[in-house]
Amino acid sequence: MNASTVIFYVLGSLVLIFGAMTVFSQKIFRAAVYLLFSLISVAGLYLLWDMDFIAALQIIIYVGGIVVLIIFSIFLTQRSGEKLPPPIKKRLVWSGILTISGLGLTSWIVYNYLFSASTLPGVEPTVHNIGEQMLSYSKYGYVFPFEVINILLLAALVGSIVIAMKKKEIKPTDETTHITK
Amino acid sequence: MKSLFNYIKEVVYAFVSLAKGLLLTLRYFVTIRKVNITEEYPNNRTTTISVKERFYGEVVLPHDENNEHKCTACTLCQIACPNNSIQIISKQIETEDGKKKRVLDKWVYHLDSCTFCYQCIDACPQDAIEMKNSFELSVYDRTKLIYQLNRPGSKLKEKPTVKEQQS
Amino acid sequence: MISMIEFTDITAWIHSLLLSVMTPTWTYIVELALSGVTALVVLLVCVIIMVYMERKVAGFMQLRWGPNRVGPYGIFQVIADVIKLLLKESFSPNRADKVMFNIAPALALCVSLMALAPISWAPGLTMWDTNIGILFITAISSMGVIGILMAGWSSNNKYSLIGAMRSGAQIVSYELSAGLSIVTAVALAGTLSTNGIIQSQADGWWILKGQIPAIIAFLIYVIASTAECNRAPFDLAEAESELTAGYHTEYAGMQFGIFYLNEYINMAIVSIIASTLFLGGWMPFHLPFDYPVVHVFNHIMDFIPTWMWFFGKMFLIIFFMMWFRWTFPRLRIDQLLKLEWKYLLPISIVNLLFAAVIIVLHWHL
Repeated sequence: MNASTVIFYVLGSLVLIFGAMTVFSQKIFRAAVYLLFSLISVAGLYLLWDMDFIAALQIIIYVGGIVVLIIFSIFLTQRSGEKLPPPIKKRLVWSGILTISGLGLTSWIVYNYLFSASTLPGVEPTVHNIGEQMLSYSKYGYVFPFEVINILLLAALVGSIVIAMKKKEIKPTDETTHITK
Repeated sequence: MKSLFNYIKEVVYAFVSLAKGLLLTLRYFVTIRKVNITEEYPNNRTTTISVKERFYGEVVLPHDENNEHKCTACTLCQIACPNNSIQIISKQIETEDGKKKRVLDKWVYHLDSCTFCYQCIDACPQDAIEMKNSFELSVYDRTKLIYQLNRPGSKLKEKPTVKEQQS
Repeated sequence: MISMIEFTDITAWIHSLLLSVMTPTWTYIVELALSGVTALVVLLVCVIIMVYMERKVAGFMQLRWGPNRVGPYGIFQVIADVIKLLLKESFSPNRADKVMFNIAPALALCVSLMALAPISWAPGLTMWDTNIGILFITAISSMGVIGILMAGWSSNNKYSLIGAMRSGAQIVSYELSAGLSIVTAVALAGTLSTNGIIQSQADGWWILKGQIPAIIAFLIYVIASTAECNRAPFDLAEAESELTAGYHTEYAGMQFGIFYLNEYINMAIVSIIASTLFLGGWMPFHLPFDYPVVHVFNHIMDFIPTWMWFFGKMFLIIFFMMWFRWTFPRLRIDQLLKLEWKYLLPISIVNLLFAAVIIVLHWHL
């Protein structure tokens, strides 16, 4: 058992512990912060496997983006500082059964799948390689998902503008303006 | 197109106006030895300290070189004083030609209750008293704040008679 | 060339010394700890200088002397303040979320110290020489808002909460234009590693070689990073006239001190990054022309040691940020968001396109 194995188990257990705390915490803000710690531990796992680029992206997207957004939306909800009501017993049982069966299914599939070691040479995450990979349309290129995400983000942008747009106010008649003056 | 031009103009103007402010503070920063306005008070009290003439520090009764003052002990200042900081004690004396005359004995000034309102100086018909711009007035005991303003042995400055004025 | 002691010689000497007394594994661990402690000490010394400098700059720009009572020219004022902060009680309010309240300052400090790892201090002196250095720093600085949000939330105080929300909105939006101007510099240099970026400026800094786009990107980066550090004129998060002290209203003693320290560490890191990207980090000032006079000039510049260049540029940009702080009045929240979304972001996108054209056509020197 060498140091990297120890670090792996420490980080893995942190991911699991903070994940569980996210689910079981009754204070919603604390749950968000535990989620944050869990995601940071995942980034730590990536760093352990020498995937610096993926780790940095994990932090930018999940920690800096998504969790901050979640915390913001928690701030905007009402009475978010209070404890959540305890869950209903019946629902607890059902959700427990469903979760355990889901876990069983996933682990069964993972156990039966034959993971073959990749024969492709690793790609150095230099700016040049990242750019090529992102815009290439050969076998391992990402131009198609890149464009799909572009369209998705554009749709989200337009949608949010439509939601946020103010309706034109009806101009008050001359009499009312006179009165308000 | 015009809106784009306006946009660029706005940005350029913003930078120009920000640069104006930045240059002003930079000038202050560089020439701090000249423009500095801090009085390093306890260090410069014997050298460069300057307090404006109009500062109301304490009431004084000026004496000239012959140890003479202008107070006639009319007590108008005492009446004008809103909080009884002034006490004029006068005495009767007999002049050379046998007339009885009331002159100043003690001009007592209670600095501890003075609010520096300037009303005594406004009230004085002889311009005998003045406000001085001194400010280091604190002492350890309140009783030390009662001053007698006329010096010992001082007397009223005789007004020049009409004859003398003509000559 | 004068034979100077380089930092690489010192590190190599320490390495061989440690190897002679312990096993390679222990050497590795001790070196990790040693480099961390050294970076921290250097940074703390910088912070002490910065706090003193801030007060002096503030004083001079407001026509007064600044601290001048404790020690000659007031140089021990900061030490007196630190002792005061250490002796004060760290107090948490009654209805606060105590755990979060106490974790928040530590988390904020950890996050800003993590950004130190990929910084290139001198030739060959980098704690973690990774080829995604700048990306890692961007990632870490996007985490900086978490500590502030936690502090503001857990204080259970309306001022803290409003301050934290403002600061969050501000950091999240200014991250974009800061990121885009970093991308401009990265596109010019063609690498993400801090060492690589500095090496690419061996024949001239990017602010000179990169034409107009580099200058615009530098200006935008300085503005956006001032906003990211929550410093005036963008200090709405702690606007003392409306929010008492913003997210750290309830903090006292050294917990407040950590937030204060954090602000200055962020400033130092931001200015190190700006100098790495645009002013060549530890690289001496070189001109990108091929004349004998220029060669002589470049050679003379090499005589100034690299650490002097590094800290000189760092403190120059820090001085800019202090200069802004003591000149400009605070923005309103709508003006702040307008500045970012209507001015900085469009300008930096157009600037990036412009830079791309220049790079493709090889117009940069």
